[in-house]
Amino acid sequence: MMEQVTRGDIVLEARGLSREFAGRNESGLFRKKRRVRAVDDVSITLRAGEVLAIVGESGSGKSVLARMLARIVVPTEGELLLRGELIALRERRTAAYAGEVQLVLQDPFASANPVRRVRHSLERPLLIHGTPKEDVVVRAREVLASVALTPQDEYLDRYPHELSGGQLQRVNIARGLSVNPKVLLADEPISMLDVSVRLGVLNLLRELCDTRLLAMMYITHDIASARYIADESAVMYAGQVVERARGTRVMDAPIHPYTQLLVDSVPNPEKLSKQSSPTAHNVDSTHFNYEGCRFSPRCPQVMDICRGNQPPEVDLGDGHMARCWLSASDAQRTAVKILAK
Amino acid sequence: MNEDSLVPVLDVTNFSVDYGYGDDAVRAVSDVSFSLGRSQVLGVAGESGSGKSTLVYGLTRLLRAPGVITSGEVTLHLAGERNGEAFNVLTASEDELRQVRWSQVSIVMQSALNALNPLRRVGKEFDEVLRRHDRTSSKTARQERAIELLALVGLAADRLQRFPHELSGGQRQRVMIAMALALRPELVIMDEPTTALDVVTQREIVSELYELRQKLGFAMIFITHDLSLLVELADEIMVMYAGEIVERAPAVELHGAPRHPYTLGLMNSFPPLQGDRVRMTGIPGSPPNLKSPPGGCAFHPRCPSAHDRCRTQAPPLVAIEDGHRSVACWLHDSSSTEVVPVSLSRRAASRIGQGA
Ligand SMILES: Nc1ncnc2c1ncn2[C@@H]1O[C@H](COP(=O)(O)OP(=O)(O)OP(=O)(O)O)[C@@H](O)[C@H]1O
Ligand SMILES: Nc1ncnc2c1ncn2[C@@H]1O[C@H](COP(=O)(O)OP(=O)(O)OP(=O)(O)O)[C@@H](O)[C@H]1O
Ligand code: SF4
Ligand SMILES: [Mg+2]
Ligand SMILES: [Mg+2]
Repeated sequence: MMEQVTRGDIVLEARGLSREFAGRNESGLFRKKRRVRAVDDVSITLRAGEVLAIVGESGSGKSVLARMLARIVVPTEGELLLRGELIALRERRTAAYAGEVQLVLQDPFASANPVRRVRHSLERPLLIHGTPKEDVVVRAREVLASVALTPQDEYLDRYPHELSGGQLQRVNIARGLSVNPKVLLADEPISMLDVSVRLGVLNLLRELCDTRLLAMMYITHDIASARYIADESAVMYAGQVVERARGTRVMDAPIHPYTQLLVDSVPNPEKLSKQSSPTAHNVDSTHFNYEGCRFSPRCPQVMDICRGNQPPEVDLGDGHMARCWLSASDAQRTAVKILAK
Repeated sequence: MNEDSLVPVLDVTNFSVDYGYGDDAVRAVSDVSFSLGRSQVLGVAGESGSGKSTLVYGLTRLLRAPGVITSGEVTLHLAGERNGEAFNVLTASEDELRQVRWSQVSIVMQSALNALNPLRRVGKEFDEVLRRHDRTSSKTARQERAIELLALVGLAADRLQRFPHELSGGQRQRVMIAMALALRPELVIMDEPTTALDVVTQREIVSELYELRQKLGFAMIFITHDLSLLVELADEIMVMYAGEIVERAPAVELHGAPRHPYTLGLMNSFPPLQGDRVRMTGIPGSPPNLKSPPGGCAFHPRCPSAHDRCRTQAPPLVAIEDGHRSVACWLHDSSSTEVVPVSLSRRAASRIGQGA
């Protein structure tokens, strides 16, 4: 079963994943059934030894995406491939899949069982996955060492409340690692932690990715942390990936107006301009425009075409993609006009 | 710095707050002194649990049990009708306090997202605040003022008819800010007003605050754990660690040349949005447990520059460099023979304005 993996090998791939939920209509009695597309046509690739960052504001669909990849939420549409093999999404998640694709959650306190010692939470997943009893103890110590909680005896018998937030998140990550997964989905793993310990956890994730050739998805609303850790970054807005590029291109040379706004909005003492440059239109971002570009109600550069037509994914070369009419080719624009006639 | 900034709005001396009593007492704010000038923005930074909220709730006497003010003096220099009056906050009666809240000092609390009564329309909340101030005002006049205030923070008049749950987080926060400004206070305290919001909304609100401050001239205490945000917004920054002020300096200088190892560590905890990607380390170890704080300098177990003296003696906050900034760290003590790391020394001042 132990096949050789090399850095860059595609491990998990999502093609056109979407998920709809029954939407709630805001005002009381006359509930119109509106479907909310929490994730809309998302395609991403997770590669061995690489971190893909998913950046987006609250409600943009990041967690739903992660939960679909972990097969906790069933997609409404789309395909999932693990090492090139199509997954039967309608069937129950297998134990093997759960072992290979691990999800680490945002709140270390909420996801730890308060009455169980660290030892227990590390050993349990191993026992469930049928690891022989005598190996379990050794393995638990190994993973604790790999998240830098040493000497292990100091930590094995502690309860969650006896650990700091950063230590507890390390235990969570260790638990995710104990069954030797190939994919680690980290959903906002640092946002609940004290600012001074966040980098420690980020560095740990990066090291694990490099040494174990894990394929990692790092979910965050903090674009600077994505820039720090990721090999590739994707920006989500209202359920869609609106821009994606390798390296730091998304932050250094953003093309999509939303990404530009996001980058400009990050507090940046080096710039020291006290006023914001382009301001977004102040609208409630939960009011999506379903016909056209999702961002068009807020976009500072909105054009007529944007309001009524979904922008296409535009390939800008070198794996840089933006979903925006500003970047679209003449041919893509013409296609819309022809359709409209 | 303009002349106004030399006239104080707030003076705080030797202010301490405990949670609990006797042997169980935990010192959350320890011997804090500072003063704030008219229309100045003071930023307060520090990680979770460093005492930022406790400080401002204590200053405004909004602390809840088991919080107890154990020492200090707080003087609010009133303006408007009571111009020139020095108001002793800690000895004032509840009645006297009510007269200065909202009109002289107002506070937007950290949990502002829940601070609005869910069963009341926004307009009703405004009406209450405005009426409390001036009982003779007419309902129409109050409504007009409410609309004016909403406009100030970029919200349309129809929001007055809405219930809090019908507003987005950013809109609710704007409502809270508008209410804080309703009676034209001299001092506005904001406890993490944008932490729960996404950065785009945060940016909008921060630029609005900046403009409002220019226009209305109130002084502000702005709390956040995000030092970068403060560098943009504040005139001066105060950094707290384990209930104490460890450094205070003009914002640009603090950012360009921190003197306290904790400030430096905090700055190195936020990856930058530009430049080469280099490995950063943050701060080793974990934040202190206030129940059993480390002896000596509270930061010493995590400090790369800690030496013998740090383990036994607590460094006082002292003025350095002609007195326009201060730091609590033995490295900068005049009798110290320790070598100050370049990153914390005066030479580091050359980094100011070097920006990318
Ligand atoms: N079980 C569900 N039923 C109905 N709607 C849901 C459900 N789960 C998520 N949603 C909706 O899907 C959208 C995306 O949610 P998601 O949790 O993925 O956002 P997110 O990007 O992770 O946000 P955050 O940064 O706040 O964690 C939201 O509008 C949310 O309300
Ligand atoms: N009601 C309380 N009872 C006991 N201890 C408390 C209480 N409220 C706060 N504390 C403690 O006082 C210390 C300071 O808390 P405070 O809320 O002022 O910190 P903060 O700097 O505002 O943190 P944050 O960034 O998380 O808001 C913390 O150690 C906290 O645990
Ligand atoms: S497609 Fe149009 S509306 Fe959408 S982001 Fe681009 S320019 Fe703005
Ligand atoms: Mg989420
Ligand atoms: Mg607080």
